[in-house]
Amino acid sequence: MSKLKSTKQSTRELFIEHAKKGDILLNQCIKCSNIMLETVYYCDKCFSNSFRQVPYIGKGRVVTYTIQSVVPEGFEDVNSYAWVIFKLDDCDMNVSGFLPGISTPADLPLGSKIKVVDFHDKHGLILQKY
Amino acid sequence: MGEKVYVLGAGSTKYGKLNESVIEIALNASKDAIDSAGITPKDVKAGYISNVFGVADKQVHMAPVIMSNLGIPEVPGLTIESACGSGSVMFREAFANVSAGFYDCVLALGVEKVTHTSTVESTTLFSYCSDFFYEGGNGASFPGLFGSMARAYLAAYKATEEDLARVAVKNHENGLLNPKAHVRKKITVEDVLKSPVVASPLKLYDCCPFSDGASAVILCNEEFAKKSGNPYIEIVGSGRGASPASVQSRKDITTIPSTVDASRQAYKMANLSPKDIDFVEVHDCFTIAELIDIEDLGFFPKGTAAQAVREGRTMLNSDISVNPSGGLKSKGHPIGATGVGQVVEVFEQFTNKAGDRTVKDAEIAMTHNFGATGASAAVHIFKKIK
Repeated sequence: MSKLKSTKQSTRELFIEHAKKGDILLNQCIKCSNIMLETVYYCDKCFSNSFRQVPYIGKGRVVTYTIQSVVPEGFEDVNSYAWVIFKLDDCDMNVSGFLPGISTPADLPLGSKIKVVDFHDKHGLILQKY
Repeated sequence: MGEKVYVLGAGSTKYGKLNESVIEIALNASKDAIDSAGITPKDVKAGYISNVFGVADKQVHMAPVIMSNLGIPEVPGLTIESACGSGSVMFREAFANVSAGFYDCVLALGVEKVTHTSTVESTTLFSYCSDFFYEGGNGASFPGLFGSMARAYLAAYKATEEDLARVAVKNHENGLLNPKAHVRKKITVEDVLKSPVVASPLKLYDCCPFSDGASAVILCNEEFAKKSGNPYIEIVGSGRGASPASVQSRKDITTIPSTVDASRQAYKMANLSPKDIDFVEVHDCFTIAELIDIEDLGFFPKGTAAQAVREGRTMLNSDISVNPSGGLKSKGHPIGATGVGQVVEVFEQFTNKAGDRTVKDAEIAMTHNFGATGASAAVHIFKKIK
């Protein structure tokens, strides 16, 4: 029996598509206006599952981060990088991603400006200082 | 609430690099617990098993294999996974089933074997316990996730990397007194600070080791405990909590909501407060975790744990003895076994088997164990039976 291929994009595929354009796709609950990551299926405030997809500009400031010296599989090809949590400028939402080229804390003071520049299959959400 | 529940027996393998298979490790700890309780396998009405990476030793669906090898293949077993918190979450289910009257006596066993994998393989396996799309998939290992929590904590509360190091030094001191601990080595603050960076600001000695090991306890109801004629301890409080799976989704990165919630439930059930606890086994997978834990559990106000550690208030036989066993940091962290190992420590403390690490005059103890960065947690409170 042949498999039917779904033409509908999954929530993660949509998130990735927007990230490639430098945006973070968020869900706004139609019932209570709560904003959440696009990958959630129910509102954590009112439990509605009706959302409006809202792309936000993927720019923000560093909340915290680590510089990985011992790296997980798939990241051995990167010289030095930070895993960063940053807060979006346009809404009260934290997002995390991969920031290459960071080797010491002096390279990345808390509060530094960060933007989303891409999404790679191998390294996830790609960030850049600006 | 249902029936009172007791821990009647406890056993544990040494934690560290073990040669036996995951099943043999599990059986060794189970046998020790059964012998310690003065029962035989035919007394066990159900088996609860916690394990995370059975696949790494080519064995999943572990419970029936263990029950069969204990000579009780007809006894139902259940394998439970909740990342690093598997042991305590499983213990809670065993407790609940005895309390509800389904069984009068059960085996609660945690087991893990990972040291035969390489550091990259282990780090990768562990990263699958994160919210992988946002964390592991973007390059964060568990030291990395806790490194990010540490950086936020140090910035918020003016704590220092030396304060983190003092946690490691204290737990290694305690671990030296524990013959079953994985890393029995005295270290100094300077040793910690000079150790290689794993994920800044965390260094090698800020991190617990990958360990093999198994721990098991026998839980039973009051009638069974009294009939046994053996020493036992009472479980007087039990709580479970949950947090957003990813660190990014938490409003405050310097606290773990599941710990706060689980401990509140346990205190309420036991009708006790933090000042009543004589010692606590907390989930110190990384030094920063212990600072956050002892605040979230209510032993110290938010932002003051580093100062408390600096003043020696968490050392053995001080204000509150934190991790008399050596904790995950020194005793070791065999993922699925860790939460049960904490209960074994309480049992040994309360039945005069803790040797030089005995907490003097202790009557009430707490265990705290969480999964991943605290997405799941369980807290239990125990009372010594005089």
